[in-house]
Amino acid sequence: MGNNEILALVAVAILLPALSAALCYLIRSTPTRKFIVLFTALVMFVVAGILTQQLIKSPNGKLTPTMNLDFVGWIIKFLDMVLMIYIIYTGVRLRKALIVTLASIQLIALVIFEVFGTVEEPKTSFVIDYLSLVMILLVSIIGPIISIFAMGYMKEHEHHLGLQKSRQPRFFMIIFVFLAAMNALVMTNNLSWMFFFWEVTTLCSFLLISHDGNTESVKNASRALWMNLVGGVAFVFAMIIIYNTTHTLAIDEIVGKGLVGLLPIALLCFAGFTKSAQFPFQSWLLGAMVAPTPVSALLHSSTMVKAGVYLIVRLVPAYAGTVLGTVVAVVGGFTFMAASAVAISQSNGKRVLAYSTIANLGLIICCAGIGNYVSLAAAVLLMIFHAVSKGLLFLCVGTIEQGIGSRDIEDMQGLMKRMPFTTVITVIGMISMLLPPFGVLITKWLTIESSTSLPLVMMFIILGSAFTVVFWSKWLGIILTMSYKPKHKIEHLTASVKGALSALFVGVLAASILIVPLFNNLIKPYLQSLGNVEDLPIGGSKGGIWITVGNAVFGGFASLLFFGIIFILMITIPIFLKRTKAESIKPPYLCGENINNDVRGLEFYSPAEKVEKVVVRNYYLGGIFGEKNLTPWLNFISGAIILIMFGAVIK
Amino acid sequence: MTDVIKDIILVVAAIIVAPIIGGILNGLDRKISARMQNRYGPPILQPFYDVLKLFGKERIAVNQTQMVYVLGYLFFAVASLGMLVLKQDLLMIMFVLAFSNISLVMGAMSVRSPYSKIGAQREIIQMMAYEPVLLLMVVGVFMSTNSFMIKSVFDLDKPLLYSLPLIFIAFIYVLTIKLRKSPFDFSTSHHGHQELIKGLTTEFSGPQLAIIEMTHWYDLVLLLGLITLFFAKPIWVGILIALVCYFLEMVIDNISARVTWKWMLKYTWIIGIGLALTNIIWLYLKNRA
Amino acid sequence: MGIIDKARKKSPWIIHYDCTSCNGCDIETLACLTPLYDVERFGIINVGNPKHADVLVVTGSVNKRNVRVLKNLYNQMPDPKAVVAVGACACTGGIFSDCYNVYGGVNKVLPVDVYVPGCCPRPEAIIDGIVQAMDKLEGKARNMKHAASGKQPEAALQASTGNNNDGANT
Repeated sequence: MGNNEILALVAVAILLPALSAALCYLIRSTPTRKFIVLFTALVMFVVAGILTQQLIKSPNGKLTPTMNLDFVGWIIKFLDMVLMIYIIYTGVRLRKALIVTLASIQLIALVIFEVFGTVEEPKTSFVIDYLSLVMILLVSIIGPIISIFAMGYMKEHEHHLGLQKSRQPRFFMIIFVFLAAMNALVMTNNLSWMFFFWEVTTLCSFLLISHDGNTESVKNASRALWMNLVGGVAFVFAMIIIYNTTHTLAIDEIVGKGLVGLLPIALLCFAGFTKSAQFPFQSWLLGAMVAPTPVSALLHSSTMVKAGVYLIVRLVPAYAGTVLGTVVAVVGGFTFMAASAVAISQSNGKRVLAYSTIANLGLIICCAGIGNYVSLAAAVLLMIFHAVSKGLLFLCVGTIEQGIGSRDIEDMQGLMKRMPFTTVITVIGMISMLLPPFGVLITKWLTIESSTSLPLVMMFIILGSAFTVVFWSKWLGIILTMSYKPKHKIEHLTASVKGALSALFVGVLAASILIVPLFNNLIKPYLQSLGNVEDLPIGGSKGGIWITVGNAVFGGFASLLFFGIIFILMITIPIFLKRTKAESIKPPYLCGENINNDVRGLEFYSPAEKVEKVVVRNYYLGGIFGEKNLTPWLNFISGAIILIMFGAVIK
Repeated sequence: MTDVIKDIILVVAAIIVAPIIGGILNGLDRKISARMQNRYGPPILQPFYDVLKLFGKERIAVNQTQMVYVLGYLFFAVASLGMLVLKQDLLMIMFVLAFSNISLVMGAMSVRSPYSKIGAQREIIQMMAYEPVLLLMVVGVFMSTNSFMIKSVFDLDKPLLYSLPLIFIAFIYVLTIKLRKSPFDFSTSHHGHQELIKGLTTEFSGPQLAIIEMTHWYDLVLLLGLITLFFAKPIWVGILIALVCYFLEMVIDNISARVTWKWMLKYTWIIGIGLALTNIIWLYLKNRA
Repeated sequence: MGIIDKARKKSPWIIHYDCTSCNGCDIETLACLTPLYDVERFGIINVGNPKHADVLVVTGSVNKRNVRVLKNLYNQMPDPKAVVAVGACACTGGIFSDCYNVYGGVNKVLPVDVYVPGCCPRPEAIIDGIVQAMDKLEGKARNMKHAASGKQPEAALQASTGNNNDGANT
């Protein structure tokens, strides 16, 4: 395929969602919107597939479609200004001085830099390498699946809210604008374009968080906006410093040669921290949980927050092995530990997921900071596994919330009885976040094995892993709680919800089972492109991932073998279970004070024959891990680490 | 090809021999404990009688899923033992071991019984306490051998114990938690003791309980095997050290009273992690020099 | 005799329930655990959990308040299981047998396998009673095999909860 065809593909990947966004907004009939969503999903799948195929065929592991269209640059500059003015307008409307100030700083800096300065745009506007491809695949596969889910979800959501006039056209428009911006963000090679798309995703996030329009959502949305704008300011200044020292805005040149000092790179990493909601910026992501669930799934776990880690991973060659790398690893590792610890004290399902998201983003950033081949493999693998699993889990919690009317973990007891389909998928999703042989654990294992050069970071990761086990297994235990029942109820879900859940569920399983081909086809070429080495210390073979030093195996795990064993067990256990089937069902032990004929053990006789409910709540260890006690200290420490980062890189 | 067959034979042998060793050790534990308490004690084969009897009991259940978790507990404990015998990645063994434990916790939480649920919560807290120490031990082993594979421990000239003395002590400390011995027997308790009725295992009975008991034996052998790693050459010294440690655990079990989980969490983190980390930092500095 | 039957005799796990005992029999029952008598010699363990127990050791007479708990505990034990009535009150109701709220001995509500008389019985007698109960379990296990074949859990569920009305059969 020639240059023009690839350029066309890139154009389709970016402009098609944008076009669909406009159509969704203009044509307000539900069947048309359904068609648009499905059609866009299909095309995005196909485009991502062709891009993958082209990239694997390409000789140097890169697709660099060139174009001589200066006016595109000017359009983006123009849109940049419009965007900033809109954000300032929003700030004025919300009466938030902070938003106005931050956006004005960006606007002024941009006007001076781009309009009055003479900025030479890079010749190659787009570079698609394997790292971009991973992100493109995530955005173009998970994104459309979640949009399909949203069709069923938003209908129910608006029904609950009792809206007179549907706001779905606006919702889907923003979702599609976001998908377009995300695709563009990961493909572009021009730092100033990247900044534009970066800010577009920030605005989309703001608009979607405040979608329901109540006081709380507007408040949280404006917090998300100003925190992301702080990152945006850092981004602008990084851009200006980089251009003034190197006279280029091409990301591959900035990253490749180590031309710039560490300060602009640190500023870009800082922008990444805000976008990825690292401590002390975690509060915006927690507040963002008021948004409808598809938004949480799409923007706030699987794709948009990944833009931050994408940037940080992208910059790895520029800071690997320097003091900045170490501090970035500390920031990520600390966030991983802190977010996992606070998650223990949470009983709101979505907040647990949010903390877990922050933690995993921290882990990715930590891997990037460690910066050796093994940890980078772990970083990119975790981006994939986390996006799929967490996207699925958010959708599950959304479905559960609509099914039982609560997102509190304690209310999910006996879920198996009410929503068996969703429960099974949720349980597998959670297991994929924490247990072997699923991918997330494999990456955690890789991270620990690669972090031995930094004992402090390793300590953070080890403690964080222990906390992770606690909050997931507590939640799993609640969901799996069930009494004896002869028959399962069949739950009724709309086709779009069921389809999206099944698709992501298959994705979770497929990603973990196909870890070896995934590694060999996506991660390995990415690692090779970093250092032009033939002999990587990490490889996928013999049904698993193996770390080697020279010829000796240094560590490894045959996860495929493990999956095989589990698969055999899954077939044999039911046969075995028939033989060991219970001969009689007894109620749980309640000191003999069970109510007659109550095999489920829901109630007991208390003194004076009073009938009381059996209530067992989980431990939340509020005294140790309580959010209120812990957060100020964690924010303080993480703020200090970030200050240390800047202190160390300023000459 | 012969290697594969050799591996398979090794694993099968381990699967058959481990519960026998574990059961006898358990019987010795009960006998020696009884002697320490000035009692006569049960026969050494008592654990086998108990398990056989439990297999002959009526199969009762509270819900249909309990057996799945129990089998999960057994199979993953066996899997981690198999990985140990095949000298695989030590870190992954720890993760698989955690999988096995979580399976039991899920089984205990899957029933609507206050005792078993609270036991499960406490078990989770125990896991939170000892898991970091186990992982730090693995890292310590890595720093001494430059590899995560157990194979390399056997290639080492000097025993691990010389470079990891503090981690060894920390490991013995968490071994008490892992074996659920007094003072840390609050998620469930052994033999004659009662805590939260029977905590974690309250709602398991008959064959389910028998499988859980058998899994304890596998766990025991696995943990003693890990101790053996600290003195892998000659291996009989390692085995001797492991047995001495097990005797030490019996003594601790008999002379201490149960503590609260808060106490455990605090002291395991301070003492266990403190010791392990101290050891790791000095190894780190030594490796860099 | 199969290996499981042999093992069953060597491992009687008990649950001890105090109905309305004056605590005399309880003290003697617990005395069995002391180094002097050491019931663990016979593999006897006081498990305190009906789901693990083979033998239900009852002290004291049955009255209107505790009959429900006694029956629930018994129902929650897995087969084969035995009941040992320890002391005069548990055997016949003892000196409380004429009280307005007392039904009488344990045999009024549960099938008692071994009666250990005495007020209170000596620990040796109690241990002997439990060992005798183990012999009875053998026959029960054989019956269980015949009865259980072909019975569905649902049916068993009905059977186990159906006769569970408060002391109605006195």
